[in-house]
Amino acid sequence: MIEVSGLNMTFGGNTRSGGSVEALRDVNLRIEDNEFLTVLGPSGCGKTTLLRAIGGLLTWNAGQIRIDGRPVTGPGPERAMVFQNVALLPWDTVLSNVAFGLELRGVARAERERKAMELIDLVGLSGFERRMPRELSGGMQQRVGLARALAVEPKVLLMDEPFGALDEQTRRILQEELIRIWERTRTTVVFVTHSMDEAVLLGDRIALITARPGTVDEIVHVPLPRPRARDIGSIERSVEFVAIRSRLWEKLREMQPDLRGPTKVARAS
Amino acid sequence: MSSVASNGLVHRITASHATYRILTLAIFAAAWEAYASQARSLLIPKFTDTVTGFFTLLTDRHFWEALIISNQALVLGFAISVVLGIPLGLAMGRFRVAERAVDVYLNILLVTPMAALIPILLMSPLGLSLASRVVLVVMFSIVMVVVNSRAGVRQVDPSLIEMARSFGASERQIWWRVLLPGSLPAVMTGVRIGLGRAVTGMVIVELLLVAAGIGGLILEYRGFFKADLLYGTVVIIVLEALALITVARWLERRVTPWARHRGVMERA
Repeated sequence: MIEVSGLNMTFGGNTRSGGSVEALRDVNLRIEDNEFLTVLGPSGCGKTTLLRAIGGLLTWNAGQIRIDGRPVTGPGPERAMVFQNVALLPWDTVLSNVAFGLELRGVARAERERKAMELIDLVGLSGFERRMPRELSGGMQQRVGLARALAVEPKVLLMDEPFGALDEQTRRILQEELIRIWERTRTTVVFVTHSMDEAVLLGDRIALITARPGTVDEIVHVPLPRPRARDIGSIERSVEFVAIRSRLWEKLREMQPDLRGPTKVARAS
Repeated sequence: MSSVASNGLVHRITASHATYRILTLAIFAAAWEAYASQARSLLIPKFTDTVTGFFTLLTDRHFWEALIISNQALVLGFAISVVLGIPLGLAMGRFRVAERAVDVYLNILLVTPMAALIPILLMSPLGLSLASRVVLVVMFSIVMVVVNSRAGVRQVDPSLIEMARSFGASERQIWWRVLLPGSLPAVMTGVRIGLGRAVTGMVIVELLLVAAGIGGLILEYRGFFKADLLYGTVVIIVLEALALITVARWLERRVTPWARHRGVMERA
């Protein structure tokens, strides 16, 4: 279980310009074991910051993050991250990239490559082990990123808009694959996204984050049944899906400062 | 049929880089020959004379001895530049303390005309020794190695470092698995450019400071108006430099096949 309590984070402020940005204010969040939580919010709302904090890559001003009761002070072996820009080592093969986390932990070559092959197979990249990252498409690269994170058998998978940079078709295929893999492994996932569809489709719950300062506005339960991998199309047409989605949109629209104005004008006329 | 085949051949010849190089060389050589024949100067050898001079030198023991003497300074100086310059540049790229401590001296080396330092070197305890020539070669070449190595470390994608940290990498592991391979392309570029500068340093020091080796030969041939041998010597230096640079470039591509080969100060 991940518990985020009273998390405050401010960037800058010590510079001569004096301009500091309050990124997160009093963020409270509980993520249960084996839960798929999506974190949704407008861009620049601090959702990625929150994820990086849980990953132990940032320090914060006040509050605490605990994983199974132990406070987070840095990166740890029970967590693994998937990055929006994938961050594959360009000088390493797919196999070495997937085995990278295990290599850092001192797992022997034969053992880590065996494990890596298993995950390359799981993400559907068999036959590409010896390829270099630049030889792969964006979607395939992100599969490598996912395999690398899963290879260390994390208890918590932290995903930072992993499909944000992909084209529509590739994104949908990878969403399906992720659901399929997750429904098999049931690893705890925190998945940051700015796509409402993605948040609903993947998540058991959605944490809605407001912008500037970022704070948890609401937790939305997603009552869609599992397994969902089989038929995403009909899920997206279901009454529940449409209802949650429009509710999320109402919330998000309130948060968008540039949309509030025109809406009022439209009402007045 | 034969016309198709010859078209293919013509196409291959016109498309080849070597064709244009040979063509430009031929035009250059012809112009040189024509001008030198007409000028009839003691100071300008004909192209053909230069070629003969070139081959005369290749069979001359004196010349080879001079070449070896020069290259001692080159090899030692360049080796020192690489061995000191790479770690120094890498450290400057990563640690602010190293940057602050060394940056001033690096800038001095970068902007000072090296020739101005030669008299100082001459009056130093090193005097006219091999050590003195080595020092100058180092001063010529080490800057390029340091600057490129520093830029290499700084260019490493910060998201790769963060990724490695997220998987629990230690600073040591980050160096070995991310920073060193990531900066290798730029380091190799620095080595290649540094090599070119080392050759420059080698010749200049012999022309201005110690009349030794190849530089000494150049001065000697100039003194005796042996223009053909003088030109032949210069051609050999150019060829040596080109050969060294080609090897360096080959090595660069060989060890960093993943990189797009472009570095800072490529034209320096």
